[in-house]
Amino acid sequence: MSLKTIQAAPGFQDYLPKEYQDLLEDGPFFQQRKVSELGSFKEALEEHPMCAGCAMTLFIRLCYIGFPSLEHTVICGTAGCGRLAITQGAVPFVYGNYGDTNAVATGLKRGLEIRFKDQPKDVVVMAGDGGLADIGFHAVMHSWFRKEKFTTIMLDNEVYGNTGGQDSGMTQKGMVMKMAPTGKKFEKMDMLGLAKTAGVAYTARIAPTNPTRVANTVRKAVLIAREVGPTFIQAYTSCNIEYAIPTPKVMDDARDVEKDRYGFQEYFSDDAKTYWEESEKERKRLRRAAKK
Amino acid sequence: MYSVAEIDVEICSATKCRLCTQFCPEGNTILYDEVRGTAYVAVDRCKGCEICVGICDDLAKHHAIKMLPIDQVKDGFEISKVGFLRTLVEPE
Repeated sequence: MSLKTIQAAPGFQDYLPKEYQDLLEDGPFFQQRKVSELGSFKEALEEHPMCAGCAMTLFIRLCYIGFPSLEHTVICGTAGCGRLAITQGAVPFVYGNYGDTNAVATGLKRGLEIRFKDQPKDVVVMAGDGGLADIGFHAVMHSWFRKEKFTTIMLDNEVYGNTGGQDSGMTQKGMVMKMAPTGKKFEKMDMLGLAKTAGVAYTARIAPTNPTRVANTVRKAVLIAREVGPTFIQAYTSCNIEYAIPTPKVMDDARDVEKDRYGFQEYFSDDAKTYWEESEKERKRLRRAAKK
Repeated sequence: MYSVAEIDVEICSATKCRLCTQFCPEGNTILYDEVRGTAYVAVDRCKGCEICVGICDDLAKHHAIKMLPIDQVKDGFEISKVGFLRTLVEPE
């Protein structure tokens, strides 16, 4: 929750694992790291057991760069591929039961607001299409109706990748999967449309083809959620195993899908737009003042 | 046997594009040496997905990354042994 809580007592620092020491010395805490700095600092995301060449991992890695204050962020997730990497990051992770993520995040956010009145704490739900659009659908929708101030990020790989290839609500119509041999029967769910109807302050659809854009979008979503209301990001993060994409072609696939049906799209509610424009003006003013 | 990414320091340091560090799905795997001006790979973390090869060849058009069987890698950098380093250049 804060670097203070993970700082070692001076006499014990040398005995801590090297990774831990590196995070304290060269980590991403207490400063907004940029995508262009990647490789020059110790990242919060550590070694994880996700498949080689997984686009979802790339997206998660970029999210950690986008979070505006990593040391004051809590991630809430659930079963699925994504949590295999998210749990290996140096950010507190709360495991909601399948379907419960947004309900758990609601409690977390409200509790943190009471406990830390002067320090904004960001709660981010990061889960798959199964966890959010199928099994967690009711909790997601109700958190939006209640205008809970946290960000929901859907890692949309369009399949239940962790359990062998069942079709999810977010799978494309007609798609034949290992566990859907006759093809998906229904259209892909329009989660962005539902979010808009439910009154979400900011929604974005994105594919991880432009790392800087991913980090900026995540940052925008978290900052708007802090002040205005619920935000939602739907990210295309292909499953190269279930969709049989050779790993060197993962980014080609992301570009093709982005071009075809997953182009970058964002929507602001009126309140979110006003807030964002004002805060951008303020940031520019501060940057100019710092230069002088 | 499996292969890991190997970055040609000469080609990479001439470009300083850093694109491979941004597209690798693994954290703390393709690192960037500010002193030598080149990216380098933590061979114990690389899973051999070849995304960086595609990025370097097709997007950056520098052709600086090749896949190399792990037993042919000489003096590969292992982050689990030495930890995070800002540069591989030894201090004088």
